[in-house]
Amino acid sequence: MGFVRSKFFQAVLVLAVVFLIFRFGIRPAAPWSVFTLYMFVALISVLVYVSSNRDSWRSFLAPIRSTLVDDSKLPVRFAVMVILPLLLGYYAYTQASAGIEAPAELRAIHPAPPASISFRGKTLDIQGLGNPLRKDQANFQKHVAEGGVIYVKNCMYCHGDNLDGNGHFAHAFNPPPANFTDPGTIAMLQEAFLFWRIAKGGPGLPKESTPWNSVMPGWEDRLSEEEIWKVIMYLYEATGYQPRRWETHAAVPSPLTLTLSPRGEREMRGSSPPAAEGEKFAVSSPPQGERAQVRGTPSPYLSPAGRGEAVRSGIIAAAWAQPAGDPAKGKAIYEQKCLLCHGEKGDGNGPAAPLLDPKPRDFTKGKYKIRTSASGRLPTDADLLRIISEGMPGTSMPGWKVLPERDRRHLVAYLKTFAGEAFKEAPKAADLPKEVTSSKESLARGKEMFEAIECNKCHGNAGRGDGPSMPELKDDWGNPVRPANLTKSWTFRGGASAREVATRLVTGLMGTPMPSFIDSVEKPEDVWHVANYVKSLGPEKMDFATILPVRAVQGEIPDDPAAKFWEGQPPHHFPLAGQVIADPRNFNPSVDMVTVRAVYSESEIAFHVTWDDPTPSKPDPKAKTFADQVALQFATRPGEGNERPYVLAGDGSNPVTLLRWSSEGGVGEASATGIAKITPRTGEAVKARGEAVFADGQYRLVIKRPRVGPDANDLSFPVGRFLSVAFMAWDGGAGETGPRMAFSSWYYLRLEEPGSNKPYIIPPLVVLVTAALELLVIRGARRRTHGG
Amino acid sequence: MRQWLSVLCCLALVAAVLGGTSQVTAQGGGSIVGEVKFSGTPPAPKVVKVNKDNQACGDEKKSEELVVGANKGIKNAVVSVVGGKGPAAKPAQKPVLDQKGCQFSPHVLVVPAGAELDIQNPDGVLHNIHTFATANPSINKAQPKFKKVMTEKFEKPEIIKVQCDAHSWMLGWIVVQAHPHYAVTDEGGAFKLDNVPAGKHKVEVWHETLGKMTQEVEVKAGAPTKVTFELAKK
Repeated sequence: MGFVRSKFFQAVLVLAVVFLIFRFGIRPAAPWSVFTLYMFVALISVLVYVSSNRDSWRSFLAPIRSTLVDDSKLPVRFAVMVILPLLLGYYAYTQASAGIEAPAELRAIHPAPPASISFRGKTLDIQGLGNPLRKDQANFQKHVAEGGVIYVKNCMYCHGDNLDGNGHFAHAFNPPPANFTDPGTIAMLQEAFLFWRIAKGGPGLPKESTPWNSVMPGWEDRLSEEEIWKVIMYLYEATGYQPRRWETHAAVPSPLTLTLSPRGEREMRGSSPPAAEGEKFAVSSPPQGERAQVRGTPSPYLSPAGRGEAVRSGIIAAAWAQPAGDPAKGKAIYEQKCLLCHGEKGDGNGPAAPLLDPKPRDFTKGKYKIRTSASGRLPTDADLLRIISEGMPGTSMPGWKVLPERDRRHLVAYLKTFAGEAFKEAPKAADLPKEVTSSKESLARGKEMFEAIECNKCHGNAGRGDGPSMPELKDDWGNPVRPANLTKSWTFRGGASAREVATRLVTGLMGTPMPSFIDSVEKPEDVWHVANYVKSLGPEKMDFATILPVRAVQGEIPDDPAAKFWEGQPPHHFPLAGQVIADPRNFNPSVDMVTVRAVYSESEIAFHVTWDDPTPSKPDPKAKTFADQVALQFATRPGEGNERPYVLAGDGSNPVTLLRWSSEGGVGEASATGIAKITPRTGEAVKARGEAVFADGQYRLVIKRPRVGPDANDLSFPVGRFLSVAFMAWDGGAGETGPRMAFSSWYYLRLEEPGSNKPYIIPPLVVLVTAALELLVIRGARRRTHGG
Repeated sequence: MRQWLSVLCCLALVAAVLGGTSQVTAQGGGSIVGEVKFSGTPPAPKVVKVNKDNQACGDEKKSEELVVGANKGIKNAVVSVVGGKGPAAKPAQKPVLDQKGCQFSPHVLVVPAGAELDIQNPDGVLHNIHTFATANPSINKAQPKFKKVMTEKFEKPEIIKVQCDAHSWMLGWIVVQAHPHYAVTDEGGAFKLDNVPAGKHKVEVWHETLGKMTQEVEVKAGAPTKVTFELAKK
């Protein structure tokens, strides 16, 4: 046990423990830069400690020296000699081969508000302004309730049901929507500050410390002064925070520095004293590497098979152990958290319901989609608890893990009371046949059954939800429903694991056209084969891009979107959100992402865009359908820094150029200074050309343009410079046209320098140099020991 | 052997006839006959264009939501005695709901509560049986082309809408009987309810688009009572 007393061992142990605490003990995880800083401090402390006296230093060095010198330690020495250079070489390789990253952006998170603003022609002094509605104590609850309704009709889509900045559009935006439950946001601010940010939005942010790139619209056009104060009251009431009060000496809210960590979690860095001693800046470091994973809490959304199941089986196990919830307690929670969508009577008719698709569940019928019980049967308590806890990916239903499990059980108990006597009957569990793991044979059988049971009728041949029955499908309440796009497993309502998909096939989705197949397959285990096949139709999970690198290619770029060439280019996926800012608003966008491949040659730049759309639509005013469209948006005059025009088609002083394609008119170009001010270019001015193909519920488009033109004011795409691009899409068949569309945040676009060989040269060099240094150190140490 | 068989058959026939008459005498029942008529000008029947599976389904389907025949008789109305007593007789043959040509046939099917029913799919395309029940569990079961027959059972009396989501025009009704006294009107709107116990009864007519209507009827033993319903578009 002598080695335990060795200072070297102790030092390593302390560092290991510190590593584990900092890496896994802090939630949400600390950003990498902070973590390395902490580790560095720990290392220095340990070194100071071991070198504090001669004995301890010697004890610390002894094992190192013996490894270097002793003949008996030859194997260990040899292993270190080999492993260390290889590790460093690998590190060098990952660094050298990493794709380009978006440049860091400096941004104050809480900018100083102006002294006064003009609100609908009226001047409001922000300094010292309080919420006038707070004086009306008698109507406090009424104002808060009305604020809640305004919130779910306007704010929820980005800031989320939980007010955690995780609404169902949130993942499409960078910077992400504010998280009001974070103690670093509204809890630190005066209500007047919120009023200014809500009224003026992203476009109203001060010119200093741009780019803001905030999608937050100015709400003064849509909400009245009183409505804004109401929604502010709701924010504080729903999060339980108190607004900061005006202090006599505080002129402005103290600027607070937040760092956007690679995962989009926010980290608070403390605040400086009030007064405008200059804003603190934070580096919003772009995600490590080129991609960021989809954010969002529901775990099935993120996780492949295993995790969702683990969670689920955990819940089921817990269901046995836990007593049933209390409906009376559930009612109180329901009225706070669920009522705005699901309605007071539980009939799915809350104030937000008309804007949502799929509609909030009507609990009065006892019909539930996601169950483990047989067709026509009621769900188990565990089924209900699972949906409340995990939410439903691809819908506006978030997971409610923010509530303690006890409260979620009370909710389950309360929901059941809406369905009258229905839940008196014990649920009848469906039998799930024995699991069949995915294999080549299973996939072949799955495909055969997929065709035999005609999944394509609704889901389409390639599973993109584009089958011939798609346009006519209705749920039991008469609302149109879309069949699932089977290639996007991260939007599966009941989870994406093979077990969950197989369970859906066994039980069907009650209240929807999706029937139960367990009595209708040739052999019961076929549901597993079909589930495995369904899972094989699309990627396991979706990694959204943070930057669009444009590759250099030699020679002619093919015009045909179906050409083999394009399959060889790396795809970059960009999420889209509904446009809910300008009228007419689009709360339920049909196109939720675009996949882009981009290349350039000496003379041209070409974008290959892929997106799912169930129907190639023709304009038909009678049927209220329009042409399908897609647009790539560029800043017409890219600024010197990284300032960008307002993302929704620019603004008065910052125009954008749109390269677009429409199923009616083909490729075209337009200039815009706002969503309502889009001017198509005609004749010579249109330099873009391209073509699109449609097959199995998917468009593929190639759009090309000269890279650099003679006109200095025209778009140009120089190599190596960070440019900006954003995307828009319209599914005309779903009635999308004009502002009714889906759009993305701004992203960086960069033309890569042609063929770098860095990844193949630097790592071997690192390995050689490290090995040589090692040899030198060992030789030196041995000479000193043996010689002296 | 053949002799025995014919003797058996004869016996069975006699027994059936005797049984039948004895039931009537035991209950002292009579019958209700009548018609269900459309009041006003009947609308032109709707025609739905078939936009998929044309080989199996044809090119168009006449809607059976409201079929008005000669003399304005309404087909497929369900007439029943309110609060009828006794269990529904077991049908001689298992009731069948056919989907031939992507159409539920019969459009309105009467089945005794708890009795099995065969749902057939001779079309060679996917159908799904999607019921909208309240007393019974609602089901939604796929019936792919190779699944020629499915068997279902409805335990509790009610009128259940049936649809197929794969073919949006497909619509049918299953009337789960509470008691023996149910009838569906024929092409001419005529119906007959047999063996109704003598006395005063409430008779109800139900039609899928025209709703419900009731009438008081006095039934005399051994004699038919005539009733006419007039349903109007709501």
